[in-house]
Amino acid sequence: MTRSIEAMWKNGFVNEAHLTAPKINDLYNRKSQNIVDKLRTMFAINIKAIMVGSLIMLVMMSLIGAPFLGLYICCLLAPLIIIAKRELSKSVNLSKGQSSYDYLISFNNWLQSSIEAYSDYYKIFYPLFFLGMAIQAIVSKAGGKIIALFVEKLPTDFIILGLPYYLIAIVAVITLIVARYAEALYRLDLNIVYGRQFKKLEELITDMKELRN
Amino acid sequence: MGSDFYQLSILPFAGIIIKICRAYTNSQEDFEDYYQEVCLQIWRSKDNFNQESEWSTWIYRISLNVCLTYLKRRKTGDKEIVSNALPEEAIDDSKAFSSDDINELYSAIKHLSETDRAVILLYLEEKSYEEIADIIGSNANNIGVRIKRIKDRLNKLINQKD
Repeated sequence: MTRSIEAMWKNGFVNEAHLTAPKINDLYNRKSQNIVDKLRTMFAINIKAIMVGSLIMLVMMSLIGAPFLGLYICCLLAPLIIIAKRELSKSVNLSKGQSSYDYLISFNNWLQSSIEAYSDYYKIFYPLFFLGMAIQAIVSKAGGKIIALFVEKLPTDFIILGLPYYLIAIVAVITLIVARYAEALYRLDLNIVYGRQFKKLEELITDMKELRN
Repeated sequence: MGSDFYQLSILPFAGIIIKICRAYTNSQEDFEDYYQEVCLQIWRSKDNFNQESEWSTWIYRISLNVCLTYLKRRKTGDKEIVSNALPEEAIDDSKAFSSDDINELYSAIKHLSETDRAVILLYLEEKSYEEIADIIGSNANNIGVRIKRIKDRLNKLINQKD
C-alpha cells in the first residue's frame, strides 16, 4: 500500500506539544572555550612564524651580502619572541574555575595587556628596523653610488659621519615618523591577522553581558 | 537571552525549530547545537523582525538559515560550535517522534539536497507556495513543480521498502 508523506507527517506530529525542546545550556561555555583556544593557537603559530622568519631573514640577508643586517633583524625579533612566549604562558594561567563570562573577561583583559606590551616593544622595533635598513642601504655599494649622485647634485660642506647633512636629516625624520606611528602600524597589522577573531570575542562578551542582565 | 523572551516568543514555536533541526542533523549532539544556535539567532535578530510576516514565518526562516549555514560550515571544515571531542550518539527520537512513520519520513528527507529539504519541510508544514518562495528566496511559480518532483522522490524512497 502506498503511504502519503502528508499523512505520515501529520500523524507523526499529532501531539506536537510532546516535542521536547532541548535545554538551552552550555552553548556559550563552548563558544568561549572555542574562541580562546583558537586565539591561543594563532598566537602560538605566530611565535613559530617569527622564529622561522628571523632565521630566513638571517639566511637571505647573508646570501645578498648583508649578514649583519640579518643578524641585526634577528636580534630585534628575539625580544619579540620572548615577550610573545611570556604573554602566552600568562594566558594559560588564567583561572578556569570561574564562570564562562568571567573567564572570557579575564582572557580579554589579558589580551589587552598583551597588546599593550607588544605595542610598547613595536614602538622601538619599527624605528630600529627602519634605521637598520637605512644604514645597510647607505653602506651598500648601490647606496654609495646614490649618495655620490646626491653630493654631486646637491653639494654641501656640512658633512656628518661622512654623509651630507640632508641625508642624515631625511633618515632622522623618517625614523621619527615611523616611531610616531609605530603603534598604529602594529595595530593595523594586528587587525589584519586577528581582526575577525577579536570581533567574535567582542560580540561574544556583549552577548554574554546581555544574557546576565 | 532573556528567559522571558525564550518562554514567550520561542518555546511556543519550539516545534518548528525541532522539526527543521531534525532534518539537518544526524546526532543528538548536533541536533541540540543547531537548536540552541537557532534560538540564539532568533533572539539576536528579534529587532529586525518587521512584522510584515508572521512571527512563525520568521522562525522558519531563521531556523532554515542557521541549519543551512551550519551544514555549509561543516562541509568546509569550520566546526565552530560543534564539538568533535565527544563521540556522536544516535539521535534519540523516542520521546519527540514516537511514530515509526515519521522516523522513516525523516530518513527519506535526509536523502534530499539541503534546499529540497527546506522546501518539503515548509510544504509539509502547510505553508503556501508564496510563503515557501519567500522563505527560501525563490520564485513561487517554480515551487509547485519542485514540490511535485521532491514528493515523487520521497514516495519512491519510502515505498520502495514496502
